[in-house]
Amino acid sequence: MRLLLIEDSRRLQDSIGRGLRKSGYALDVTGDGSEGLWFAESNSYDTIILDLMLPGLDGLTILRRLRQKGNNAPVLILTAKDTVDDRVRGLGLGADDYLIKPFAFEELLARIQALCRRHYERPTALLAVEDLEIDTAARTVRRAGKTVDLTPREFMLLEYLAARRGQVISRSEIEAHIYCDSVDLASNVVDSAICSLRRKICPDGDRPLIHTRRGMGYILESNPP
Amino acid sequence: MNSIRSRLTIGLLVGFCVLWTGAATALYLYFRTGLLAEFDTTLLANAQALAALTHQRNGIFELDFPGEFIPGFEGGPAANYFQLLSANGKIIDQSPSLGVSHLFPSTDSTEILQYLDLTLPDGQRGRAVSLRFIPQGNEEAPDSQLDKHLGASVILTVALHRAGLDHRLGILATALLVVGGLLAVSTGLGVPLVVHRGLSPLQEVAEHASRIDVESLQLRFPSSNLPTELQPICGRLNELLARLQASFERERQFSADVAHELRTPIAELRSLAEVALRWPGEPAASTSALKETLEIAMQMGTIVNGLLSLARCEAGLQKLDTVPVRVAALMREIWESLADLAREKRLAIFWNMAEDGSMETDLALFRSILINLLSNAVDYSPAGGSIHICVKTETVPWQIDISNSVTDLTPADVPHLFERFWRRDPARSASSHSGLGLALTRVFAKSLGLEIAAYLTTTDVLTFTLRPGSSIREEATMKIPTST
Repeated sequence: MRLLLIEDSRRLQDSIGRGLRKSGYALDVTGDGSEGLWFAESNSYDTIILDLMLPGLDGLTILRRLRQKGNNAPVLILTAKDTVDDRVRGLGLGADDYLIKPFAFEELLARIQALCRRHYERPTALLAVEDLEIDTAARTVRRAGKTVDLTPREFMLLEYLAARRGQVISRSEIEAHIYCDSVDLASNVVDSAICSLRRKICPDGDRPLIHTRRGMGYILESNPP
Repeated sequence: MNSIRSRLTIGLLVGFCVLWTGAATALYLYFRTGLLAEFDTTLLANAQALAALTHQRNGIFELDFPGEFIPGFEGGPAANYFQLLSANGKIIDQSPSLGVSHLFPSTDSTEILQYLDLTLPDGQRGRAVSLRFIPQGNEEAPDSQLDKHLGASVILTVALHRAGLDHRLGILATALLVVGGLLAVSTGLGVPLVVHRGLSPLQEVAEHASRIDVESLQLRFPSSNLPTELQPICGRLNELLARLQASFERERQFSADVAHELRTPIAELRSLAEVALRWPGEPAASTSALKETLEIAMQMGTIVNGLLSLARCEAGLQKLDTVPVRVAALMREIWESLADLAREKRLAIFWNMAEDGSMETDLALFRSILINLLSNAVDYSPAGGSIHICVKTETVPWQIDISNSVTDLTPADVPHLFERFWRRDPARSASSHSGLGLALTRVFAKSLGLEIAAYLTTTDVLTFTLRPGSSIREEATMKIPTST
């Protein structure tokens, strides 16, 4: 999942950025409002974490402009402004969630997961494809009742594929959502990750769930057409 | 009973009661006196008529009483009475109506005319007049010399029934009581109503006041259609509300600013700690996290210390230790710590400073003021800008001006410069400044008897002026050594 953090506190950029990346999210970070708007308009994010008091362009203006242009990426406002008016104004302009500083990192993570779920129209934290069960809240994966150990990045890749179950997802989309812009265009990091994921979720000749569409990308499906 | 309405109502009711009672009594007495005078006139006329019929011949008194002409004295119900006594109390003659009874006027009195109330022989109340006179026929004792010839005088007493008089007085008293009662009832009903209506504007003001609380300080008392007595009160209350509202808004803004200023570093601290605990990582990351933690702690310490200093100074608890301070030397000493940053920003510095000025002041506070002003000048000057530092000791009062180039500062911003936590940048992202520096500077200056002002000299030059306040304290007076 790819996130955008627009936060002017360098320390919060560092700590939140580190925590989210360690949790497997691909993350873009900026401390300037104008740059944040440019990021949000130029990329497809699964959630945007937005501070309100920003240099360059304030958070509410960013939100308003995004919604005016039809950008429906989930937005979580993360701010020290705690009055009811502030919250109502933020949610009224189209924010999907509002978290007041100081906050628990666990809560931020849970809210981001909930927003990502909603973005892909999943009502619960549980994803199931045949006998593959993905618990996005507990961040666990089980295949035929057996726990599958995945790295955060692999988990995020599987969650992304499962969230878009039945859709062919191109390499570039996977790169954009899982690897941010850190992937070299010529690298085969996506292919390697898919290969590794297949090995882990389909051991001992279990029925394969991730299928390749040559020239197009990958699809997670129990019975591919 | 501590309400104006109750007091006014009771006061008015008691007042009206006294007034009505007094008026009724006066009216009764007036008519009673009139009726009595009328009765007495009739009585006297009767007595004089009988006196005219009294004669003395050769020491013998006679009353030619023509009963057929004055039948009232003959007898019967409501008969009149008369009795003629000699000076020594001997009955000379009396009306047939008296029968065997007598009237007993005082014969000791030397009064010529005397009225008295008495019980008549038929047991009813009557009124009598006693007339002392010398009957006709005695040439030696004219009326004018009656006192010398008392022995030759007679006392004629005429008595009449006063039932008619008493009846009229009774009707008068009843009429007054009825009217008085009606007045009392109407007063009892009318006074509270009038008081209620009279005090209704006060009640409206009170109800309006009861609607005003901390959340509705924008409300104001109505100024039109108010009685003139209440207009100045409501005017003053509205002024007070305006000041209160401004004060509350300042406090709210201050609380929100404090919350914001503290929330952000707390959020940084918490996020840093939680992420570090969850993903301990390599030692370098831990060291970095600890360093960041220390920086945040110091930043929060600066804010808290600033707030404490502000509170202490505003409460007048700041202790002042006055010593002689050489201003120019102090300015240069402070500047040494800022010179490197000024060079980095390629700032042009212009000094215009009298070297010989000194003043008695608290060194710590005065130093804080100058540090704040000079560091602000360096921090907020754009790269390549200029700073002018001018200390004028030859003028009275002395004055220190510190000017620096600014960008994006408007005249509307200037009045906010000394507000706590005010920042030009709405994002409040300049982490090296908490927004308390200039607020502290002003409070420190006030503690030292100084005043500080800021103004835009031109659109891009901001000047701070420090000088003795309007109530110049002795220690704030700059002393210039005389040349030898």
